Formats: sequence, C-alpha cells, structure tokens
Amino acid sequence: MKNRAAVVIIGGGINGVSIAYNLAKAGVKDVIVLEKKFLAYGATGRCGAGVRQQWGTKQNCILSRESVKIFENIKDELKVDIDIEFKQKGYLLLAFTEKEWNQFHKNVQLQNSLGINSKLLSPQEAKEIVPFLNTEKLLGAAYYEKDGHANPFLTTLAYAKAAEKLGVKIYKGVEVFDIHVKEGKIKGVYTNHGYIATEKIVNAAGGWSQEIGKMVGVDLPVYSERHEILATEPVNEILGPMVMSFSYNIYCQQTPHGSFVMGYGPKETSKSMRSTWQFLETMAKKVTYLLPPTKNLRVVRQWAGYYNISPDRQPIVSSCNEVEGFYMAIGFSGHGFMLAPAVGVIMKDIILGNKLTWDVVLDIGRFERNEIIKEPSVV
Amino acid sequence: MNVAIFEEKEFLGGQLIKQTHKFFGSKDESAGIRGIYIAKNLINEIEKTENIDLYLNSMVMGYYEDGVITALVNNKMEKFIPKKVIIATGAFEKSIPFENDDLPGVFGAGAVQTLMNVYGILPGKDVLMIGSGNIGLIVSYQLAQARANVKGIVEISDHIGGYLVHASKVRRLGIPIYTQHTIVKALGKNKVEGAIIENIQTHEKKEISCDVICLATGLMPLSDILNQINCEMKYIPELGGFVPIRDENLKTTVENVFVAGDVAGIEEATAAMLEGELTGLYAAYEITGKFDKRINTIKERLKDLRKTSSKVVNGLKKLNLYEDFIVEPHESLGDLHKTGIPEEEKIENLLSSKKERFAILECFQKIPCNPCVSSCPTNAIKMDGLNEIPKLDYDKCIGCGNCVAVCPGLAIFVIDKKKESVILPYEFYPLPEKGEFVEILDREGNLLERNQVLSIRKMKDKTNLIEVKVSKENLKHSRHIRVVR
Repeated sequence: MKNRAAVVIIGGGINGVSIAYNLAKAGVKDVIVLEKKFLAYGATGRCGAGVRQQWGTKQNCILSRESVKIFENIKDELKVDIDIEFKQKGYLLLAFTEKEWNQFHKNVQLQNSLGINSKLLSPQEAKEIVPFLNTEKLLGAAYYEKDGHANPFLTTLAYAKAAEKLGVKIYKGVEVFDIHVKEGKIKGVYTNHGYIATEKIVNAAGGWSQEIGKMVGVDLPVYSERHEILATEPVNEILGPMVMSFSYNIYCQQTPHGSFVMGYGPKETSKSMRSTWQFLETMAKKVTYLLPPTKNLRVVRQWAGYYNISPDRQPIVSSCNEVEGFYMAIGFSGHGFMLAPAVGVIMKDIILGNKLTWDVVLDIGRFERNEIIKEPSVV
Repeated sequence: MNVAIFEEKEFLGGQLIKQTHKFFGSKDESAGIRGIYIAKNLINEIEKTENIDLYLNSMVMGYYEDGVITALVNNKMEKFIPKKVIIATGAFEKSIPFENDDLPGVFGAGAVQTLMNVYGILPGKDVLMIGSGNIGLIVSYQLAQARANVKGIVEISDHIGGYLVHASKVRRLGIPIYTQHTIVKALGKNKVEGAIIENIQTHEKKEISCDVICLATGLMPLSDILNQINCEMKYIPELGGFVPIRDENLKTTVENVFVAGDVAGIEEATAAMLEGELTGLYAAYEITGKFDKRINTIKERLKDLRKTSSKVVNGLKKLNLYEDFIVEPHESLGDLHKTGIPEEEKIENLLSSKKERFAILECFQKIPCNPCVSSCPTNAIKMDGLNEIPKLDYDKCIGCGNCVAVCPGLAIFVIDKKKESVILPYEFYPLPEKGEFVEILDREGNLLERNQVLSIRKMKDKTNLIEVKVSKENLKHSRHIRVVR
C-alpha cells in the first residue's frame, strides 16, 4: 500500500469512487480510496437501485438531472466496457392525501422549471402505466418517464475501473482507525495497514461518516438509520416504473433482471444492520395491497443498510471550516446512489477550488445560515 | 422438553435414506447397518416420541436478533421462539467445470442417489463417475447393483480417495479406476453421449462413451442459515469450505446456536450422528442444568472415530479443537491405494495357514470399523482398537462365514481347500440357484472359470452368502460371481 497521497477518500461506495474518478480525470495524481470491506459494501450495495429526478428541492433536482445525463452516456464518460443495466421506465409517485397531492403540484412545477419534464396524472392515467395498480383512494400521481434504475454494483465497479485506469489506487479491506490533524490541518490517516500521509481527506463513509467526523473532532449533523429492503425471485417484466408512495411509505420496482426490489422507511432507528421478520410481514401487506399480483412472488433475499440522514434530507458536499483539508460527501438521506455521478463532479470542483459546475448549495454552512429547505419527498 | 424439527423435504432422513450400503464405525453405534435402516429406526423413534413436533415441507427462512425463527409452513410464514437452536442442514455438492458441463446427463452424485434410491429411477445406462471418494465409490457400486454399466471412475489424484474396501468392491465388478485422470469434456449435442478424460501427467486423452456423467467431487457445508444468523465462519479446506467457529460442544459464536453434522464440516455419517446426539444432550443440559454423562462418552467416541482421519482432525485443529490430538500417520498401502487391488504378497500372508477351511480378511487399511469382531462365535477375530486391522486366530476360526456376512466392506471371504470352494458376499440380483453354473470373477472382474453354486445363505440384511465350487488354483483369486442366464 502507498504511504503518501494527494487525496485520501474514505469509503468505497459509489460516491467515493465517483469522487476519485472525477479527481483523477481532472489531473489529480495520487488519489487513494480506502474501503474497510469491499466496494459497495455499505449503502450503495444495499440500496433500492432507483434513479429519480422528481425531487422537491432545487439541489436534489439539479444533482439528479445531471446524474441522469451521465448515466445515459456512462460508457462514453467512463470508457470502460461495463453495462450498468440503466433502464428508464419512469417513477410513478402516488398521492393519497390532499397534502401530498398539493406537494406534487409544487414539485412538478419546480421540476419543470429545472428542465425535468415530469407531469401529473389522474388515477386512470396512472392505471394505464401500471394496469394492476390498486387506485383505491388514489388522488393522482406524478410521473417522469426518464427516471428509472441502474445496477449499483456494476455502476460502482465501472467507476472504480475507470478511476483505476487513471491511476487511482483503491485499497479494499483497509479500515481507517484515526485521522492525524495538526494545528487544524489534515496530516494523514492511520489504518489497519499502516499510516498514509496526506493533506486532503474526503469523508465518503456513508453510514459511518459520523465516526469519521469524530476522528477530526467535528460533530457532523448526520445520523444513520437502518432501512430494510427485499428482493423477490425474477419473473417476466410486468412493472415498468418504480412505484412509490410517501403516505403508504413504500417503494417497489422490477429490475431488468426480473426481480422485484422493495422497501419502506422504519419507525425506529436501530444501530443494527441485520434485517427483521417484522419488515417481511409489513412489507408484504403494503405491497400486496398496492400491487396485488406481487402476492404470487417469492422472496429470495432480505437485507438492511443505512440511510445517512442530513437535517434537510439533501447531501452535504463540502469542505470543513474547522479542519483544513477535510472534505465530506455525506448525508445522502437514502438517495446517494442516484446522485453520485454529479456529486463526484461537485466534490472535484470544491477540492480544486473551481467554480461549481452547477448552481447548487450543498455546503455544510447552510445549516448555520438557516438556508434550510427540507426535501419533502423521501421514503 | 419440547422439540420441533423443521425439514424442507416432505420426508425425514436427509442423506441417510439414500445410503443403501452398510456403515463402518463401531458396533456401539450403527456399524454394519445399512443407512436406510438407520434412518428408519431414527424416524420410528421420532414418530413415537410425543414431545417432538414435526414440520415437514417446512423451510426455515431466518433466525432474527429478537430470537424469532421464521419458517414457511403450509406456505405461510410462521414464527417460533426457541430456547436453543441446532442447525443440521448438511452439505451440498461441489462441482468441477469442464467443457459442455451443462449438457443434460451431467448429474451430481447426490442427484443420482436420490433418483435411484429414493424414487427408483435409473438416470442412465452407461455411467462415468468423476471422483473416487467414498461417495464416488459407493454410488458406482449402487449403480452397478441397479444394473447400470459403470464405465469407469476418474480420479485426479494419484491414489483412491475413499476407503479401499469400497474400491476393491467396485474393482471386482470390473469397473476401472483411472487415477491421475480428469474429465475435460462432455461429448454429445443435446445430451451426454460420451466424455473425454485426460491423464494429467502425460496429457494422453481417452474417449469413453456414456449417457451419464456423475460428479462426486466433494461436498461443501450448507451454511446459508449460519451466515444469516451472523455466525463467525472460517475457511477450512479440510472441512469442505466455510465452517462455523464452535467449541467442543458444537456451540457457535451466536448464543444458543449449535451445529451438528456436515454443516459443521464434512465428515462421515457416523460422526454426524454422534454430533447430533451430543448437541441434543448439551442443549438440554443448558436448559435443565442436568448433565448427562453420555456427553463425555460421545466426545470420547468421536475422538476414537477420528483417530485415522488426519484431514478432519487437522481441520478441527484450525478451529482450536483437538489441539493435543495425535492422528496416527497413514501407512503406505502401495498399489492397493492406486488400484484398489491388494498386492499378491498381502494375500499370500493371509493364506499361510495349514488349515483346510478359514476366513480371509482382506482388510488392510486402518479405518474405524469393528462388526467382524463380535460376529465371530469362537472369538477368533481380535482388534486392538476401533481403527486397527483385525487379526484372525486361524486355530480358532471354523470358517462359518458369519464375518463374511457382517463386514461392511465386503472384504472377508472363506476358502475351503478340501472342498475346493469359496464363500463370497453377494448383494446383487438375481440370486443364483443352488447347483447353477455361474461365472467366477477375480479381483478385477475378469472371468476365471465357470463353476457350480454349492449353497446360498439368504441373509436378512441382504448381504447373501454364496458358496461356489472353484478349482484349486483359483481359490485365492475368486472374489465375485456373475449369474448368466
């Protein structure tokens, strides 16, 4: 393992490798990614694999819109021959309450103003897209056909390969124990494989980013929440879009491989990353009510992972006032995978001191400035 | 204490219900009894025990942090909260890759055994067996019993993997064992029509026509549920792959969870049965506080059984178990290890007696097995320990043939020099008639002569004794008969 680097990125999830790739592409030499387990071990490999642009805040809309542009041309961008299984069959968001329906009106307006051509649908129109959808009490839906799915493992692998081709070193099985800070400046990291001297560290540790913050003495305004998810056996394609309801607290999509992947937000937070039988029972009730044919599907796997939640449910992509050379891409609040292509670009801009490629406010200072607009549309 | 058994299949018994051969081991356990009958006895015991609830057709899905086990019972997820959990999920088969290995006609040995011995379906006519471990040898023998034509047993190593008495059993049926060979290709368009095997030293290729390729290339613990539970696992090749870390009472790193049998590491069935009993008793002890002394006895018996299994013991040492245990070094058995045929010299030693009629114990390998000792009415067979070679006291031997009938390895014969006859164990159909002329075969299945059946002793456990007339020069070579009608 190298013992010196220009930038050390902590975390081999999609955001870690995307940042590494973008730094290397911009000409930064000696970029190292440290991953304590294996690539995509954390939230990336455990996520619902959805790619959506129908958000309720400007930042999320822009990041997702730009990420989709990159997803659409990923092979040209990364120049590696890996099919990330990107499909664009839409997201169908369901409104069952007046409050939700009103929010959808606002969201669609915002999205349209930012070039995301989502639209509102009547229950009948929603049923045309998903014929077996239970539309009981459904007021309407929001839909954007350019939303969809990508395979998180393959996308991470594609970014990692592309980064490695540009000279990035990715070390797996390397865990950071502590960070060396001297006079408010980053000096290096202590790992289970030795010390690496560096002046720049990126905290992309997802569910463990709070702990990394503590290593430099910073209390980051994020916390990790266990979310559970399951996958069924694969069947022929019957469901195009991701179906999502905030009030029923559920998302469900059929992947290109044919399996259904679904989950919902938990009632309580847990430090455990194990799954529960309670999730199976509740999930089954929810999904078979909303999408009745799913009652015939057999579950093949269930698992859990962390949402790293920020106060406004938008990512924090930022430098750090207290510690020079400490950067963070954290608090993705359950949508880190789909934003990663754009986040890599923004973090590269921040580290290199460039003007941000897009007009977004993602710095950690926004919470002190009270510029918080909370993302309303999170499962 | 209430016990619930969850079984994915619609019947109990696991692999035992396919094991039509007699088990080795100690007479104190189930040595000399066929696996299918052991299963029957155990199932009977379970069925008449009132406090055992049987959940057949019921797949366990998970064991959760809150102590709940979920199982799919009658297509519904049911929940159970046990005090102790014993996981005995066994193993699954390893495969080896070769060209066209996805052709219909390529089977795992377990599938062949299930088809043949559970459902009575012969998977094909001409079978090529890959692997000469005990499973490869035993399944070859069973296929021959079911009248399939076993074209050969392919073994990549330079010696036979399984017990040599099993090898000798298949060799006398005329089945060749190709050591230092491996399969490189399956032939055929829509199904297996043959195979190409290759000598790994000379790279010489050989084509064998067959319609079944049967893979008996080892087992791997079926540990999915242990992973789901977060049991700490360790990769130990000697035990078949990832196995749970556990203590001498088979307790895993997760509280209240025990393992027994192949899921804890690939071993013989007798060890699995002992481990099952041990975990049952130990789990009961943890619940009731009453210690059953049999727990210690079982541990001793397991040690006894493992005395010659250097592979298993070396694996256990990696788990910090059996640390001071010394395995007896393997003695070289020369050609027998390569061919399954004992050298002339070994046989001559057994024939040195001046007596007219006596037993010949063609048992040269140290394996844990002793049913012959207690079968002898005159105490003529002595063994210094479970794993030792039996010694015959020729003065005491009356040539009755009891030992011929009980030997699980079919490795004992009686010769009568005066009568010019041999008593052989015979486990095939049809049985010859008294007076019928049959073909007399040697240790490699070659025809020696045609001669007359003098007597037939039909035994309850179906290892029948056939006494055949044999010319003097063939007395020491005659090891099998073929009924030709």
